[in-house]
Amino acid sequence: MIVTLALALMTGAAALAVLLPLSRKRAEDAPSAADADAVFYASQIADIERDIGRGLVDPAEAENARVEAARRLLAARRRAAPDAAMADGTFRRRVAAIIVLVGVPLVSLPLYLAVGRPDMPAQPLAARQQEAPEDMEFAQALAKIEKHLAANPDDGRGWEVVSPFYMQMGRFPDAVRGYSTAIRTLGETAQRLENLGEAQVAAADGIVTADARTVIERALAKDATLVKARFYRALAAEQDGRREAAVAYYSELLKDLPATIPLTSRIAETITRLGGTPPAAKGVPEGGAAIAALPEAQRQEAIRGMVEALDTRLGKDSTDIEGWLRLVRSYAVLNEPAKARDAYARGLSALAGDAAARGRLEALGRELGIGGS
Amino acid sequence: MTRKQRRLALISSALAVLGVAAGLVLFAFQDSIVFFYGPSELAEKNVAPGTRVRIGGLVKEGSVQRGPDQTVVFQVTDTNKVVKVSYRGILPDLFREGQGVVAEGVLVSLTDFKADSVLAKHDETYMPKEVADALKKQGVWQHDGKEGQAARPAPAAQGAKP
Amino acid sequence: MIIETGHYALVLAFALSLVLSTIPLWGVVTRDPVLMGVARPAAFAMTGFAALSYLALTWAYVTSDFSVFNVLQNSHSTKPFMYRISGVWANHEGSMLLWVLILAVFAALIAWRGRHMPQRLLSGVLAVQGSVAAAFFLFILATSNPFSRVVPAPFEGEGLNPLLQDPGLAIHPPLLYLGYVGFSVAFSFAVGALIEGRIDAVWARFVRPWTLTAWIFLTLGISMGSYWAYYELGWGGWWFWDPVENASLMPWLAGTALLHSTIVMEKRDALKVWTILLSILTFSLSLMGTFLVRSGVLTSVHAFATDPTRGVFILMILIFFIGGSLALFAWRAQTLRQGGLFAPISREGGLVLNNLFLSAICATVFVGTLYPLALEAVTGWIDPTNPSKISVGPPFFNATFLPLAVPLLLAVPFGQALAWKRGDLLAVTQRLVFAGAAAVVITILTFAYTYGGPVAAPLGVGLGAWLILGSINDIVTRSWRSGATLSTVLARAAGLPRSAWGSAIAHAGLGVSCIGIAATVWGVERITALKPGEKTELAAYTVMLDGVFPRQGPDYRETVARLRIFSDGQEIGVIEPGRRVFAVRTMPTTEAGLMTVGLGQIYASVADIEPDGRVGLRIYWKPLVLLIWLGSVVMALGGALSLLDRRARVGAPVRARAPVPAPAE
Repeated sequence: MIVTLALALMTGAAALAVLLPLSRKRAEDAPSAADADAVFYASQIADIERDIGRGLVDPAEAENARVEAARRLLAARRRAAPDAAMADGTFRRRVAAIIVLVGVPLVSLPLYLAVGRPDMPAQPLAARQQEAPEDMEFAQALAKIEKHLAANPDDGRGWEVVSPFYMQMGRFPDAVRGYSTAIRTLGETAQRLENLGEAQVAAADGIVTADARTVIERALAKDATLVKARFYRALAAEQDGRREAAVAYYSELLKDLPATIPLTSRIAETITRLGGTPPAAKGVPEGGAAIAALPEAQRQEAIRGMVEALDTRLGKDSTDIEGWLRLVRSYAVLNEPAKARDAYARGLSALAGDAAARGRLEALGRELGIGGS
Repeated sequence: MTRKQRRLALISSALAVLGVAAGLVLFAFQDSIVFFYGPSELAEKNVAPGTRVRIGGLVKEGSVQRGPDQTVVFQVTDTNKVVKVSYRGILPDLFREGQGVVAEGVLVSLTDFKADSVLAKHDETYMPKEVADALKKQGVWQHDGKEGQAARPAPAAQGAKP
Repeated sequence: MIIETGHYALVLAFALSLVLSTIPLWGVVTRDPVLMGVARPAAFAMTGFAALSYLALTWAYVTSDFSVFNVLQNSHSTKPFMYRISGVWANHEGSMLLWVLILAVFAALIAWRGRHMPQRLLSGVLAVQGSVAAAFFLFILATSNPFSRVVPAPFEGEGLNPLLQDPGLAIHPPLLYLGYVGFSVAFSFAVGALIEGRIDAVWARFVRPWTLTAWIFLTLGISMGSYWAYYELGWGGWWFWDPVENASLMPWLAGTALLHSTIVMEKRDALKVWTILLSILTFSLSLMGTFLVRSGVLTSVHAFATDPTRGVFILMILIFFIGGSLALFAWRAQTLRQGGLFAPISREGGLVLNNLFLSAICATVFVGTLYPLALEAVTGWIDPTNPSKISVGPPFFNATFLPLAVPLLLAVPFGQALAWKRGDLLAVTQRLVFAGAAAVVITILTFAYTYGGPVAAPLGVGLGAWLILGSINDIVTRSWRSGATLSTVLARAAGLPRSAWGSAIAHAGLGVSCIGIAATVWGVERITALKPGEKTELAAYTVMLDGVFPRQGPDYRETVARLRIFSDGQEIGVIEPGRRVFAVRTMPTTEAGLMTVGLGQIYASVADIEPDGRVGLRIYWKPLVLLIWLGSVVMALGGALSLLDRRARVGAPVRARAPVPAPAE
């Protein structure tokens, strides 16, 4: 409403700015060419007088110049035809006024409606951050940690905390820096080396560089069971064109992985592509020893359990928007688009009465590419 | 002088200056134009050794060898042919393996090139590939080649490794 | 709401520019003062809405409104305030909005200062200015809309190219645009006068201050851009003959020629056809510069061909305005009356020579810049798989620019000293004997002092000295009379018109830059790798690497090398070149370290840090380098002083509402 009013007022102002001068009966008192000529040559002559007064030019030269200016003034006057007597311009002016009155809105409104988004309010960041406290807190916390680290660049623990976030945010070189600082100040562990290697690979657009390979080898030397490190070792072999070694590494890795995590199918595909036969992946890990060896897989399981619990709790009718958001996001992260879509649909119908909440859920849907709109 | 003579003087001096300018341009074109080739073109056209050219292509993975005293040798490839480039000096900010590069210098032989300047081609909107892909998926980021900057020389190499 | 208001204001500005380019023109044709009276209010209103639109975009940047695609792409919530303001024009869409805003502001200034201009001329000029603005408003709305929105709005922007996050670059584009776009006024005056069919000395007086204004800004803009490239890019050079630089140099050369030819036209009513042509060409070169930079043809003709919308659009604008104005020129030029007579040896003759040389230089730069593009386009068209790619680099420009520029510079003091209409070369030479002799002595002394060094440098210094002394000589001979006391001479010097002082100072500034450029030949460059504690010699100085340490900036972190500079065993300063990595974009940038010693600078940039802990460094000693930019500032000051001349004030020079008796008819 306010927007419509503003647009109307602006259009009015624009048209009025032109219509007012058009509605004048008489033209404003504007100088003609002859006036300007007179003024110009008079000033030129005055300049010459002033120069003579200061003795800047010798009198003969000045006289010459003065005569020339005078002659040109006369010529200009002769040339300037008296402004033709104006035929009655009333009709013409009316036509012009109508053109402006109709033309300005006719050009501006359709054009604007074609390119503009009158329905969209401005969204300054500060205002939006108040609406989304979670993101705000995260950003603030990160900023705080970064500030702290800037002051204490040797705080290895701080770097270790912040580096996984860098990885998530795609700031891979920062993650590389963080992990290497952690290693430098806190000492090498298999885990840290593995993380550093992963970050280096990510920073190099997925290429296992020589540096990264060295780091990963070192990690595996300390702990041969590391899953990610073994994966990157296999990838390095693949990228180097050492096909047999790659197949061997991949196969060995696959044997230790539970079939439920998404990575296994990818590894199996890779092995097939490289001409090997993928061994059957291990089942759901049993026994304490296997779980200890595979913290990654275990975590996946735990998450899965939690998500399912959340799903059950929300059921069909819960109006807990935060819950729905988390559920949809979790399924998306777990790479289960069907379940995510299902949860998204359930959430939308459960939140039918709450437009704001629906909006947030829809926004998430668009972000994840599962929304209908 | 009459008006006609004056005009003649004006026109002839104008022609003289323009003639000199045109002569300079033609002369300079003979000397200072540098052709640009890829490694395959270089072989195809059988460019004579000693010619000053620009070559362009990708820095071959794993080919960069740094010698003492800021010398560096690397290979430029168009995935078909390879040219060895040797260079002494500071490499540009965006020089890295697998990325585009342009080198200007003198051809020693068809596969051997001595560069006196190395430029890395880059985009104003340079981003790690993953980030770019992720953004593309969300429909937020469009790669806009038009804003791309021409390659320019930059005598400094990639940042210190942390 | 504010965003969309700004967006709508942009559309309205477009609508008003259409009104401005039609109704007043109708008035000119029908001689209807009421229709012509629309021109000024329409210009004001158009500018008002354009400014509103620009402010709305700035507001979006300041408040980090990432629902605006342009802000999302080019800003970041951590960006310092100043760079949010400058971020508006540090990208294609925003810079085009600034471009057209400046165009509109010039229209408003003409309308404001033009109360005393003949109404028909004023209306024609504003209508042409309006039509140029209309074309660019449409360009922005159709291909480069800065107000496109994003749904849903992300929480973080994609940042700004770290190279662009720099105070030098923050002010460089507006200055450059003020120059580029300022020449639109000369263009509009030329086309307006062609439409009206009246071109005379009065026209020249009206147009000259605008040309001068544009020239001042362009001079400053180019020099600022050059200084930025010098210290930000870390390559130590200050001019690369890069096509982008050439694109700004060409309008400057043509504009300088225009500046001089308008003087002839104002004083002597001569060179009319040429001046009009030059006005059109100067702005055409500005437009072409915009096209070259904005279309992507510079990267590759093919990049342009793959995504042609913007490029083709600007090309159409280019063809329409250049072609249209030249056609109008061809049609109307014969009707221009022949102007005053002058002898070849005269001030006018000198200025013609100046114009000849400047145009020739401009033409060679033009050829060198466009030839590779043309060749690639033509050979690519004949055989699309195998276009010839060449590069025309500094050797070409040095070989063509210098031989043409040097004679021009040598002739400048003669031109300054010649009288109007009919000059006496012998007398002038006699008057310049002292300046000439002094310049030769300076050359010889410099040569002797740097004996064994390059020969070009003393010659360049001598040339610069010749220009400066010639300018001093100009002021002295104008105020000095034999037998006059010193106080009379000083009084007469003070009484000289400001434009005389202005031109003398501007030419002296040229000499100052000339010396700075010549001195680059004496520069010393060291590429070296040092360990902490190691030293290297650099001309008269010793540079020691103190150490390397990390540092955190507001939105970047930096690896800094601390270099201590010694002269005769005394430490005279510390410089800290570094390499920055910005949080948002991981591209590293080189940050040069500078220390000014007198008028020279010690310049260092960091390259690699080698595995054994040695730091690769590029260190330069650049004697007198600051003179290059100082000279251009002096030139601009001279221009500004000239602008303050009583006679340069636009409109009626004396007594506003002319009590001069109207011609009795």
